[in-house]
Amino acid sequence: MLFLVAAGLQLVFGVQKILNLACGSFYALGAYAGVSAVTWALGHGLPAPLFVVALLAGGLALAVIGPPLERLLRTIDGRDESFQLLLTFALVLMLEDVIRFVWGPAPVQLRGAYLVYGQVTVAGSTVPVYNLFVIAAGGVIALGMGLLLTRTRFGRIVRATAENREVAAALGVDMRRVYRRVFTLGVALGTVGGALVIPATAAVSEMAIEVIVDAFAVVVIGGLGSMRGAFAGALIVGVLKAGAIATWPEVEMLAIYVVVIGVLVLRPAGLFAGATP
Amino acid sequence: MLELRDVDVFIDASQILRKVTLSAGESEAICLVGRNGAGKTTTLRTIMGYRRPAAGTITFKGEAIGGLPTHAIAARGIGFAPEDSGVFADLSVAENIEIATWTRPGGRPAAERLALAYEIFPRLRGYAARGGAQLSGGERKMLSIARALALDPDLLVLDEPFEGLSPAIIPLIGESISAITRLGRTIVIAESNIHHVPAWTRRLYVIERGEIIFAGTLDEAHRDRAVLRVIGGRAS
Ligand SMILES: Nc1ncnc2c1ncn2[C@@H]1O[C@H](COP(=O)(O)OP(=O)(O)O)[C@@H](O)[C@H]1O
Ligand SMILES: [Mg+2]
Repeated sequence: MLFLVAAGLQLVFGVQKILNLACGSFYALGAYAGVSAVTWALGHGLPAPLFVVALLAGGLALAVIGPPLERLLRTIDGRDESFQLLLTFALVLMLEDVIRFVWGPAPVQLRGAYLVYGQVTVAGSTVPVYNLFVIAAGGVIALGMGLLLTRTRFGRIVRATAENREVAAALGVDMRRVYRRVFTLGVALGTVGGALVIPATAAVSEMAIEVIVDAFAVVVIGGLGSMRGAFAGALIVGVLKAGAIATWPEVEMLAIYVVVIGVLVLRPAGLFAGATP
Repeated sequence: MLELRDVDVFIDASQILRKVTLSAGESEAICLVGRNGAGKTTTLRTIMGYRRPAAGTITFKGEAIGGLPTHAIAARGIGFAPEDSGVFADLSVAENIEIATWTRPGGRPAAERLALAYEIFPRLRGYAARGGAQLSGGERKMLSIARALALDPDLLVLDEPFEGLSPAIIPLIGESISAITRLGRTIVIAESNIHHVPAWTRRLYVIERGEIIFAGTLDEAHRDRAVLRVIGGRAS
C-alpha cells in the first residue's frame, strides 16, 4: 500500500509542486479511521465478511479533510521547498497529536478481521486471502489512476496543469479547483492505503513518519512526479522489505537505502523521471 | 474592445511599464512593436492577468479586468498564445486544442470550434494524434494559436507568433492570422521585427523601455525616423 501513499505524494507534487510530507499522516489517519469504521459497523450488525466495505468507506470518508488542508497549504504555494517541508512536517506532528487525542496513545488493532476470508497456499506458503485482496485493490487503484489521467478530461487537464500551469490558466483552467481536487485525491489515496493495510497490523501514532520515510525511498527510486515511477518504486521497496524480513530482518532498512543510494548515484533523477506523471 | 490606460507594472522593485496606453477596437488587428526587452511580453502578460498593474486600468468589453485571475480573463473571451508557444508536450495535438472547449463550454459548440481551429491551421489536422513534443517550431506556434482560437475568444493575444521561424513559414502563419481577423476577431500581436508586421495590421504601437513612443499606421511608422531608429529599420 506504499504505492498509494507514494502515488498521492507524486500527484500532489507533480501538479502543485508541493512536497507534502503530510501524506504519511493521511495514511495513519486512514488506518485509524478504518479501525473505527469497521468496529462501529460490526457493532451495528454488519456481517464480518463485509468489513472491507466499512474499511474503504472509513478511508474514503476521511478525504473530506482534503479541501480545508489544501486551503491551508495554498499559502505556501511558490515559497521555497524548505518552507514547504517545514509546514507540512508541522502538519504531520499536529495530525499525530490529533490521532493521540482521538484514539489514545496505545496502538489500535482490528482483531479477527484479517483472517475472516481464510488463508490459501500459494507456492508452498500460507497466505491470508486478505493479502491477495489488498494486492488486487492496489492494482485496480493503479489502473484506475492511469485511466483517470490518460482517458478523462479531468486527467488531461491535470497533466496539462502539471506541465505548465500558466498556460493552462490562459486556457481557462481554474487552478484552485484543480488543486483542490488533486489534493483531495492525494489525501484519499493515502487514507485508503492506510485503511487497507490496517487489518494486517496495528495502528500506531508514529506510523506516519515511518511511511513517509518509505514513500520517499519509493519516490527517489521511481523519480519525483512520475506515477509509473511510484508504482515501480513501491514494488521494488515492497519486494526488498519482504525479502529482507524473510531472510535477514536486521538489514531491512539498510537494503532499501543501498538501493536508494544506488539509484541516486546512477540515475539521480530516478528510474522514471520525465515520464508522464 | 480592449483598452489599457496609463498602466504601470513593476517586477520586483523595477518599473517595467510606464503609463502604457493602447486600445484595440472590435475586429481590429493591432501590433505592439519593440526590440527585445522593451516590455511587449510584460504588456501582454499583464493583460492576461499574470501581472497586476500597480496603476492604470485595463478594460475588456467595457469591464475592468485588471487584477482578475488568468482563468477568469480567459473565460471572458481572451485567448493567449505565449512567446514560447507553451505547447503541452505530454498531450496530443488534438488534446492541446480540445482543452479550451472543456474549460469554457458556453458559446459556440465544441465541434464547431475545433473544426474552425483545424480549418485555419490545416496542417495540424494530420498531426492530431501526435504528441506535443513531436512538432517543429512553426507547428508549435500554429498549435498555440489554434488552441487559443478553440477557446472561442473575441480577442486573441499573440506574443511574437513569427519569432524564430524560417522565412518560408512566416507568410503561412501570417495568412492564418489574417484569416482569423476576417472572422471578426480582434487581435493583438507583439512583434520585435517591424518587417514582420503584417500589412493588414490596422494600427501599430511602438514600445521602448516600457513606454509607448508611437501610435499610428504602419505607413506612418515607416516614415517616422524615431521609430525606425528604435526598431532597427532603415530610414529611406
Ligand atoms: N520575470 C522577470 N524578472 C525580472 N525582470 C523581468 C522579468 N520579465 C521581464 N523582465 C524585464 O522587463 C523588461 C521587459 O521585458 P519583456 O516584457 O519580456 O520584453 P519584450 O517582450 O519586449 O522582449 C526587460 O528589461 C526584462 O529584463
Ligand atoms: Mg517578449
